Formats: sequence, structure tokens, C-alpha cells
Amino acid sequence: MSAYQEINVQTPFALKVLPVVSVTVFFAFWQFVVTTGIVPETMLAAPTTVIKLFFVKLFEADPDGALLQEHAWVSIQEAFSGYFLSLLVGLPLGLAMGWFNVAEGLARPIFEIVRPIPPVAWIPLTIFWFGIGLPGKIFIIWIGGLVPCVINAYVGVKMTNPTLIQMARTYGASDWQIFRQLCIPSALPMVFGALQIALACCWTNLVAAELLAADSGLGFMITMGRRLALPEMVVLGMFMVGLTGAVIGLAIDQVEKRLLAGIRR
Amino acid sequence: MSEKNCQQPSVANETVGQFTDRRPLTLRVVLTNRWFLHGVSLTVFFLTWDFLAKSGILGGGSSALARPLEVLSQLDYLIDNQLAELSLWGHLWASTQRVLLGFTLAALMAVPLGLFMALNRYVNAIVKPLFDLLKPMPPISWISISILWFGIGEGSKVFIIIVGTFVPCLLNAYNGVRLVEPELYDVVRMLGGNRRDEILHVCFPASFPAIFAGLQISLSIAWTCVLAAELVSARSGLGYIIVQGMNLSQPAMVMGGMVVIAAAAFGTTMLVSALERKLCPWKRKIAGL
Repeated sequence: MSAYQEINVQTPFALKVLPVVSVTVFFAFWQFVVTTGIVPETMLAAPTTVIKLFFVKLFEADPDGALLQEHAWVSIQEAFSGYFLSLLVGLPLGLAMGWFNVAEGLARPIFEIVRPIPPVAWIPLTIFWFGIGLPGKIFIIWIGGLVPCVINAYVGVKMTNPTLIQMARTYGASDWQIFRQLCIPSALPMVFGALQIALACCWTNLVAAELLAADSGLGFMITMGRRLALPEMVVLGMFMVGLTGAVIGLAIDQVEKRLLAGIRR
Repeated sequence: MSEKNCQQPSVANETVGQFTDRRPLTLRVVLTNRWFLHGVSLTVFFLTWDFLAKSGILGGGSSALARPLEVLSQLDYLIDNQLAELSLWGHLWASTQRVLLGFTLAALMAVPLGLFMALNRYVNAIVKPLFDLLKPMPPISWISISILWFGIGEGSKVFIIIVGTFVPCLLNAYNGVRLVEPELYDVVRMLGGNRRDEILHVCFPASFPAIFAGLQISLSIAWTCVLAAELVSARSGLGYIIVQGMNLSQPAMVMGGMVVIAAAAFGTTMLVSALERKLCPWKRKIAGL
């Protein structure tokens, strides 16, 4: 199949064991530090406490007013609405900015103004505009996801091999044909990169939005944990946020692999 | 005036011939000129903003959006008058100080660790799973626990910035070394270099661009983190200005804070870019953005 012969290199035993060991030691150390009271229980909860709370929270709404899965579901809904909106707007905008001079000339200055503002900074304004409901959070997440989408799509189009563009021109392709049949396919790997980056941004902003203004959601759960001085709830919220984000990221990764089987090296 | 032809980026390794043709100055040329379009879009942007603010369409009447000139005069007011015993410059410096401190500490720890991870698989096997575990947690979700640990002082803010910037610095340094082209190693080996030469003359220089990309990402994360931390609890900083604006229901103050923070983030990004150009001038630049 390939010109090179594959050589089976034995991975040393230590390399297989070390990752397991390091994670185990990490959790053991954490448990040890808390149970022996080196770190007071008001500051950090032991892993076992967190796991216990996880199972309790699945069935009990107190003290923060909703079950764990309800919080997670609210967060996922918000994140996905904002995420898809940002893809819907950001990717076409970025692609167009990469190829059409007029689009770039018009959109670039505004984009450059909005870009350096951290999405978190929009929170107070969105509270003025939308209140603390769903639309406000979607707006913040949308802004956060927009910037990476535009940048990646733009760079993807700009990285199209100029030789191919010149060849297409030689054969008499119109601007629009080149854009559709050459630039967009060649930008696809970058666009899919954007899916992951935008997701990470959206997820971060979601937590920020919920920290400041919310009445449910994982970020709200973290805040409530702090207000009620329940570190296990804070840690559980952090882990749930991380876990949900990681699962969604993996799902997108799978989709990407299916769709881009031939393109990506 | 043929912007279009001069702007061809030479991204691939091929040399792209540049030519300039003289076109007569027609209406079409003026209308598609880059700077003309920029001017048009900025004018429309500010006029729309002003109109929206004046007419109060966006709910909440005049308290929802400040007019551009109001924002400027608010900034001027903040420079001359003190808010929580600090002028605007004081707040700006408070935020910048936190960002620089956290960012520098994280970079100093994360970049060497990343390089070390890439060079030694045993270190990698120990450290990598821990970061895979911590990576998906957004840094902002650490705010609550860091307040529990460090109180609402400087410590918690710097801690959040370190948490947020550590991972991208580390991963970029790591990937930078791993993705070095193997041919470069072959060249050094063929010229009789040993492992030390490989690391010093190939690994480090070749991973510089990736490291700097990581630093840029970290920097923008650092600004987000410091802002989020200041929004949650602070007595100084740009986030404090924004929160005060929100509590006093003064959109001009909120937007003034946003403008200053955008400018500050832009300034630090430029600083890192300048440093990057100084340290690795060979890096190919992809046009724009």
C-alpha cells in the first residue's frame, strides 16, 4: 500500500502504565489532602463527596432549584442555539470576505472593531437589551462563536492555492464559479477547525453568561455552589461543564472525520 | 490604483508574479476601492449606532444604548474624575497588571513544560492525561472555586488567568515541537549534529511560530478571564467600570469600558506580534487577520 514498510515499534511498558498512574495519583492526592484536613472542607470537596453529590443531584432539586440533568439541558440548549447561529452567520461571512473584495471592504472594519472586545464584556449590555432570559445568553454565545468562525473561513479561502485559481481563470471560470467550486472546498478543513474552536468559545462564554445572569444552567449551579459555600457543588458543576463540552467536541470530531475523509491528511 | 492586483498573497511556496496595470479611473474602480468601502462601512456603522441610540428602539428607552459621542465624553469624564479612588488610567493599569502577571507566570511555566513534554515521552505520559482532564473545563468555571480559595483579592484573578492561559501555551509548544518537519532533523544529523544540536538548532527555532500562536491565543483568553473575574467581584479594573455602569444603569460607562478593554487587548496583541516578528522573522505570514 505505501512505499514505506511499517515497522512495529514496541511501546515500553512504562509508557502504557504512566498515564493511568498519574491520573490515579492525582485523584488519590486530592482525596488525601481533603480527608486529612490539610485543605479545609469549606474550600475543596473530596472526589468521593463530588461523586456522591452527582448521584444525589440526579434526583433532588434542592438546594439550587433544579435537577442536574435539567441544568445541563438548559445549558446545552443555550450553547447550541448560539453556536448554530454563529456558524450560520460567521462561516458565509468569512468565506465571502476571503474572496470578494467588496465584502471584505465592507465587513472588515466593523469586524476589527468587534474582534478585540472579549465576549464577556457584552454581558451587561445584553442584560440591558434582553434581560436575563434566553435571548441574551444566545446573543453572547453568538458573538463569542462568531469571531473564530469568520477568521477560520477567511484564512481558509485565502490559503487556496493561487496556482489553481490562475488555472481556473485560464479555463474561463467566473469569479463565482471559482469561489464555489475551488475556494469553498479548499477552505473546508479550516472551516471544520472553526467548528471546534467556536464550540470551545461558545462553551466558555456560556459559563460566563450564566455566572452573571441566570436562574438555571450549569454555570448557575457553580455560582449557587459558591454562594451556598458548597465546594462539592462547584466542583461538580465544573466537571459537568468539562464533560459535556468534551462529549460535544468528540461528536463534532466524528462528524468531521466522516465528512472530510479524503481531504484532511 | 489597482489594489486588487497588488494584494495577491504568496501563500504557497510558488512565487506569485505581481503586476500592476493602469486602469482608467472609472466609477466602478472608485466604488470597489478598499479604502472607500472601509469608509462607507464605518460611516454606516456609526450612523446606525447613533440612530439606534437616539431613537431608543432597542428596548429600555435611552438607557439601553449610548450614543458614540456620549461614550467619548464619558471616557473623558472618567479620566478626569475618580471612580472608586482610581481614574480611568488607574483602572486600566489594574487590569493590565493582572493580565501581564498571570500571562507571564503561565507562559514561563507552560512553554518549557510543553517543550519538555514533546522531547521526552515519559514526561509526556505523566503530564498529558492530567491536562486532557483539565482542558475541557472553561477557565471561567474556575472563578467560583478560586474565589473560595483566594478570596476576592488579586490572587484569585491572577489564578484564573494562569488557569486559562496555561493550557493553550502548553499545547502549542508541545504541538510546535511535534510537528517539526522530520527532514530538518535529517539535515542536522547528516551534518554530524548530536541530540543537543537537534534540540537547540531545530526544535526550538522551528517551534517558535507555534509557541507565539499559543501566546496570542492565551493573551486574548487572559483578557476574557480577567474581565469575567472583575465582573464577578472586584474593586478596581476595567471590568469594575463595566459593572458599575451596569449597576448605575449607565450604558455610556459600560460601552466606554468595552472600548478601553478592546483597545488594551489590541495593544497587547500588537506587542506580542512585534516580539514575534523580532524573534522569528522567517515565519510566513498569511495575509490579513
